Amino acid sequence: MTIAQDALQLPHLNYGALAPMLILFGAAAVGVLIEAFVPRRSRYALQLVLGLGALVAALIVVITESGTRELTAGAAIALDGPALFLQGSLAALGIVALLLIAERTLEPGGPFVAAAAVTAGTEEDRTQAAREDAGTEVYPLLLFALGGMMLFVSANDLLTMFVALEVFSLPLYLMCGLARRRRLLSQESAMKYFLLGSFASAFFLFGIAMLYGFSGQISFAGIHSAIQTSTQSTTLLYIGLALVALGLLFKAAAAPFHVWIPDVYQGAPTPITAFMSACTKVAAFGALIRVLYVAFQGTDWDFRPVIGAIAVLTMLVGSILSVTQTDIKRLLAYSSIANAGYILVGVLGLSKDGLSSTLFYLVTYGFTVIAAFGVVTLVRDADGEATHLSRWAGLGRRSPLYAGLFTFLMLAFAGIPLTSGFTGKFAVFAAAIGGGQSWLVVFGVVSSMILAFPYLRVVVMMWLSEPGESTPTVSIPGALTSATLAIGGLATLVLGVVPAPLLDLTNHAAQFIR
Amino acid sequence: MSGYLGSYATLGLLIVVGALVFVGAFSANRLLSPSAPNPAPDKYRNYECGLDPVGGDWAQAQIRYYLYAFLYVLFAVESVFLFPWAVIYDRPEFGASAVVEMGIFVAVLALGLLYAWRKRVLRWT
Amino acid sequence: MSHSILAAAAGQMGTGEKVFFWIFGPLALIGAIGMVWARNAVHSALFLVLTMLSLGVFYVLQAGPFIGMVQIIVYTGAIMMLFLFVLMLVGRDSSDALIETLRGQRTAAILIGLGFAGLVCTAIARAMGSVSAKGLDAANQANGGNVQGIAALLFTKYVFAFEVTSALLITAAVGAMILAHVERRRENRLSQVDLMKARFAPGNYPGPKPGPGVYATSDSVATPALLPDGTFADRSVSKILPTRELSGAESAPKGTER
Repeated sequence: MTIAQDALQLPHLNYGALAPMLILFGAAAVGVLIEAFVPRRSRYALQLVLGLGALVAALIVVITESGTRELTAGAAIALDGPALFLQGSLAALGIVALLLIAERTLEPGGPFVAAAAVTAGTEEDRTQAAREDAGTEVYPLLLFALGGMMLFVSANDLLTMFVALEVFSLPLYLMCGLARRRRLLSQESAMKYFLLGSFASAFFLFGIAMLYGFSGQISFAGIHSAIQTSTQSTTLLYIGLALVALGLLFKAAAAPFHVWIPDVYQGAPTPITAFMSACTKVAAFGALIRVLYVAFQGTDWDFRPVIGAIAVLTMLVGSILSVTQTDIKRLLAYSSIANAGYILVGVLGLSKDGLSSTLFYLVTYGFTVIAAFGVVTLVRDADGEATHLSRWAGLGRRSPLYAGLFTFLMLAFAGIPLTSGFTGKFAVFAAAIGGGQSWLVVFGVVSSMILAFPYLRVVVMMWLSEPGESTPTVSIPGALTSATLAIGGLATLVLGVVPAPLLDLTNHAAQFIR
Repeated sequence: MSGYLGSYATLGLLIVVGALVFVGAFSANRLLSPSAPNPAPDKYRNYECGLDPVGGDWAQAQIRYYLYAFLYVLFAVESVFLFPWAVIYDRPEFGASAVVEMGIFVAVLALGLLYAWRKRVLRWT
Repeated sequence: MSHSILAAAAGQMGTGEKVFFWIFGPLALIGAIGMVWARNAVHSALFLVLTMLSLGVFYVLQAGPFIGMVQIIVYTGAIMMLFLFVLMLVGRDSSDALIETLRGQRTAAILIGLGFAGLVCTAIARAMGSVSAKGLDAANQANGGNVQGIAALLFTKYVFAFEVTSALLITAAVGAMILAHVERRRENRLSQVDLMKARFAPGNYPGPKPGPGVYATSDSVATPALLPDGTFADRSVSKILPTRELSGAESAPKGTER
């Protein structure tokens, strides 16, 4: 039996460049150990220190490795400019979101339920809601999710990308269902997210199979070269591209696949909503842009009109439906959908500018949206957060500071100059015009104008109404939420006034390797 | 019997023998047993005396069965990955690294078992 | 025989493969139809098990023993059993709702189903015509076997994805335990002294309860005992049992005296 046994060789692993992911996964595993062995009292402090330490360490490693440009782990992982930039942004946004998640002074025990398995609405549930302890599993889950996101934006083949997609989705599904208040709503949102997310994953997987059928490869470089050289029918290629893009656009909250967003954003605990709206967007667009720019370069003329139409639909659906919203979390959810449309406009620049402006927009939007949800956690009455818009009337008189901050964030969302929202929108629209996609920019500007209306309505409501009997109080935030709000607000301001350093950084990073 | 399907012949033979034993045992029972059924009308009731069956035959299962089934799925997946590992780990090119790789994989999953043990999931009370 | 297997890879079927295909093909089809047809969710799941087992055999036949065994061990053995437990948990009867919650759902489902069937038929027709099957033999030979080939990919090229899979599995495990397991708190656990105090507390009857009634016509546990004054003793029957009244047929001799 003479079988040609290829020498099996372990691939070279660049541990330094992989370290951010390894740190996060390792810390998450330690977090599970803490859950198992450390007494309940001391878990919170330990988990918080561990999570913050791991994220800061990951961020530092990303910065020190920022010069790396290589394929590692058998070409399964590409650590190039965009990957490292997105990993760094994920770590930074993760730190800010973690601060918000760990806040415990706003209500006794924090926003997470102590025992999620207790049936909602029972006697036992009421006693545990009154108790001051809370589950701390959310910290290792957060680290797993962030590790998966980092792998997602640096995956260089579809299989690794799929595993990463599942690794970061599963903790998100779980975290959505762990709210302390309004538990049925929270569980419903987790269930919806899980079911629709599994469908999206299934479509993604099916698309991988189709692309494998077309090219015989699942690496992006292999698919790219198959597109250049293959003489086969391209039916499988287009089916595969459509299905893979569907899976990614679902996570990115683009329009026909956006229906889960409002319910999930509303039902999930607000800090988790903040985390999802910032970090999931970064991860989803990071992966989408890699798939489109690296694997499908050369089929631009085929996918551009379709994804362009999706971008237009996303912007219009997000902006028009946000006008009718009466709940602040749903309003922010629809605004997040519209922002997904703007980012898609940048992606469709299909150039170095398109890439760098997308990276820039993702970071600016992430910081602003976390701060906005941070303010939402402060407006409370006896039943928890008061999210109905009518309750926000007159809030400017109750607490000028936080109403002022929220006004500033709303103006940033609306794209007023001197905020990061303006520079971000300007960058993506400029990139789209540079890529010859002016029609997208027309729709972008129109939808921005529509979207300004609901933002300004909130602002007018807060400042020009008298506070009534039912106007909730604005809680004084603890140190952690204060830090979140300060970082988010400062980032929004600084990136609006002096965007040049970050723009330079994104320009420097905007080069994929294949 | 050589070749790809031939290697499954042993398995097929085992299944056939198993079926034969089963059929044989029941046939023997049938042949040897006396065939004089008790004609009493209530002979085939569930309980000849005692409690009448009330309601359906379905009862809601405890959720802890679900947890056990779930842990079983996890370790089934793990064992599936152990098969390919077992055929190559001793190749000279790999050295200790293949063992370490699998060690990490199993250790992370063992963490789940550890968690279950500490949370008293494994205790049946 | 080995050359006939090589022929199978090139598009022709060997005798053994044919025999197995015509045994398991109809079984898989019966399972699939039965799964949709069965009114009882548990029966549906069992039909699905039949289909999955047959598919596992097909994979083995088509030179993929590893995926075949995974199909049987993981999908049929573990995941379907998990599925059965979930059905038992949710309730076997709750699946019978035949009301359309979305208007036109049934029509849309039929149309989409027909479309999908058309798509699959086109694909099969194309595959029967122009495409020549590649088979797995070359891939299986390269590393000395199917399982070895999978191992070679798993532990070299995809080693990082493989390791990350463990993170996925542990997240799933921890998540299942968070959502399904109520940890008993220490302060809720009663000591023996507490239990004793509760037993002798005023208002509780510390002695054993009386047994059920034993009569000539019935010794059911559902028949209450009689108190000295001739009334029923409620405490003698468990609360979850319906009180049993004997019908005339039941109190008649049962025919066991013969």
